[in-house]
Amino acid sequence: MKTNKLLAFAALCFPLVAAAVDGVDLLKKVDRNLEPESYESYRKLINIEPDGAKKEFVIYSVKKGKDQVATLFLSPTSDKGRTTLRQGDNMWLYIPSVGKPMRITSLQSVTGGVFNNADIMRLDYAVEYDVKAVEETGDTYQLDLKAKTGEVAYDRLKMTVDKKLVLPTQIEAYASSGMLMKTLYFKDIKDFGGGIKRPATVETDSPLYKGYKSVMLYSGLKKKDFPDEVFTQGFMARMEELRK
Amino acid sequence: MNTAFLLSAALLGLAIPASADEFTFDASEFEKKPFEFSGYLEQKEEGLKLRSSSPAYSLAYPGRSSQNHLLRSTTTLEMAGKLNLDPVVVDVRAQAFHADDQLVSNSDRGTVMEGGVRWSAGPGLTVDVGKRVQRWGKGYAWSPVGFIERPKDASDPQSSREGFVMASAEWTKSLAGPVSAVGLGGFVVPTDGSRLNQDFGAERDLNPAARLYLLAWDTDIDFLWRGKGARPESFGIDFSRNVTSALEVHGEWARFRDASRNTVSAKGVTQQTEFDATSWLVGLRYLTQSEVTWIVEYYRNGLGYDAGELDDYYTFLDTALADGAASMLEEKARRVAQSGYGRPNSGQDYLYAKASVSEPFGWVYGAASLTAMTNLKDRSWQLTPEVSYTGFNNVEIRARAFFQHGASHTEFGEKTASRRVEVYARFFF
Repeated sequence: MKTNKLLAFAALCFPLVAAAVDGVDLLKKVDRNLEPESYESYRKLINIEPDGAKKEFVIYSVKKGKDQVATLFLSPTSDKGRTTLRQGDNMWLYIPSVGKPMRITSLQSVTGGVFNNADIMRLDYAVEYDVKAVEETGDTYQLDLKAKTGEVAYDRLKMTVDKKLVLPTQIEAYASSGMLMKTLYFKDIKDFGGGIKRPATVETDSPLYKGYKSVMLYSGLKKKDFPDEVFTQGFMARMEELRK
Repeated sequence: MNTAFLLSAALLGLAIPASADEFTFDASEFEKKPFEFSGYLEQKEEGLKLRSSSPAYSLAYPGRSSQNHLLRSTTTLEMAGKLNLDPVVVDVRAQAFHADDQLVSNSDRGTVMEGGVRWSAGPGLTVDVGKRVQRWGKGYAWSPVGFIERPKDASDPQSSREGFVMASAEWTKSLAGPVSAVGLGGFVVPTDGSRLNQDFGAERDLNPAARLYLLAWDTDIDFLWRGKGARPESFGIDFSRNVTSALEVHGEWARFRDASRNTVSAKGVTQQTEFDATSWLVGLRYLTQSEVTWIVEYYRNGLGYDAGELDDYYTFLDTALADGAASMLEEKARRVAQSGYGRPNSGQDYLYAKASVSEPFGWVYGAASLTAMTNLKDRSWQLTPEVSYTGFNNVEIRARAFFQHGASHTEFGEKTASRRVEVYARFFF
């Protein structure tokens, strides 16, 4: 009888314990564990077709503060010198042969394949999403995230977070219609130095691209600060200057 | 039991995405190099259905017999080199081509399209001297505010263009608040009345120009000015803004002071007039739910010719280029064509609409588009379906067709070819 009462009490208390987890704080920790607020990194994007054929892109990325991101394509040769810039919801693409920045949208993809522009120029999750619910399940937290505005690429995210590492292991991205757009898998925890230990591989697949898969590999991720002028259209043609 | 377990494990193994272990990436492989070399080789094949009895045909192929079909083959080589001497960059981009068809063969052994020296005095300040292509304006097919550049080809707005020799200094500053960036640029495009920037103007002048850029309330805004010199004084404004994540709107407005315009009457009397002209453009780019990108633009060319003026011009050409006409008249027709009428889109009012889709029907790296352009004054039009594929590493393949239609004495009804099909492959290295 006493055991039953204790079990009932514990069951009543469980939601209170779960509710005690501050979702916003948790999401901010996830953001900081993934990347410093301002950083530079190199990424290889690999698009894999159903027949195994691959297309690879190498990009150099810099980010500053909450909402400024810029990328430079280093490979393949046909895309070399292309740059993208994000300032909040504003995005531009600069192609050297075209010679002037063109506005682009978050759902388009400068690389083709499963990753879109929002994935490549991602801002902190806490900047774009509100935490609607947090649930503890064994070794993980399940975060239910809702986009703060209609301008965000995905309306809803279901994020699985490793409790110990406070890093995502999987994210499901949904459209406002409720349709699953893609799933991101975070793998291969690597120590990048400077206190940054995070997944070095992000894989993604999508029911919209059946049989296709895209992989993003990280290297050279380090904390670095940049002048604000780096994140202006005038600097897009000069991004190579940031690389030493 | 063991067999069942192994079978289950094997099936599970098939379902699990390929391991990340199979991929490697080391950023040190992509360290910045002091010297970079790149370029492309392009092979283009074209088939044309000619209007062999048109004046345009006589102007393009003088003295040649009438021919209704033509096959043309063009090889283009573009090479670029860049020397990184931080904070100075020296670069050059040059192009050469050889084109052959049954009527003419021509070659260009090499033109420097761009090249010069850039000094980055800081993240917000650069000084540049050399041959450069400025791309002012927000329009996709046209840019009336493109005061110090060669005009775009509305049939291929993203094609490579040759620059002008110029010196420039540009300063950019990021700010907090609704005006989040401001940029100021000063330019001089010198002409010596001889070979220096010969296409810009025949007078000896420095030809100053300036551009003030603002990113204000999430809107790109430019104020642009070109001083009086080899070309008339001009000033203008452009803007671009994402109204929603799927809809961008843009516009340009340009005023040309004392701009000159050449006209010809049906009888061949030429006249040059000077007046203040205004050109403008409004447009939008819209991404639909089904991921079709629409670009729509209306262009008002204040220096263009109306339908009546174009009719007079073509009437004159009919006379001047008729069999047995005096050679002096043919020479005059050629001069008149070069004085303005022969420019692409020399009319007054145009509507441009392009619908493009990336990866149509799940065709990854593929793209398809359909572009329509019409001269609203004479109601002639051009339709261009296009497909391209970039799935092979460093290879771009593109195929498109042009259908040009219009009544007699209209812009697209008088083009040399009524139809054209082209396919090219570009190999990047």
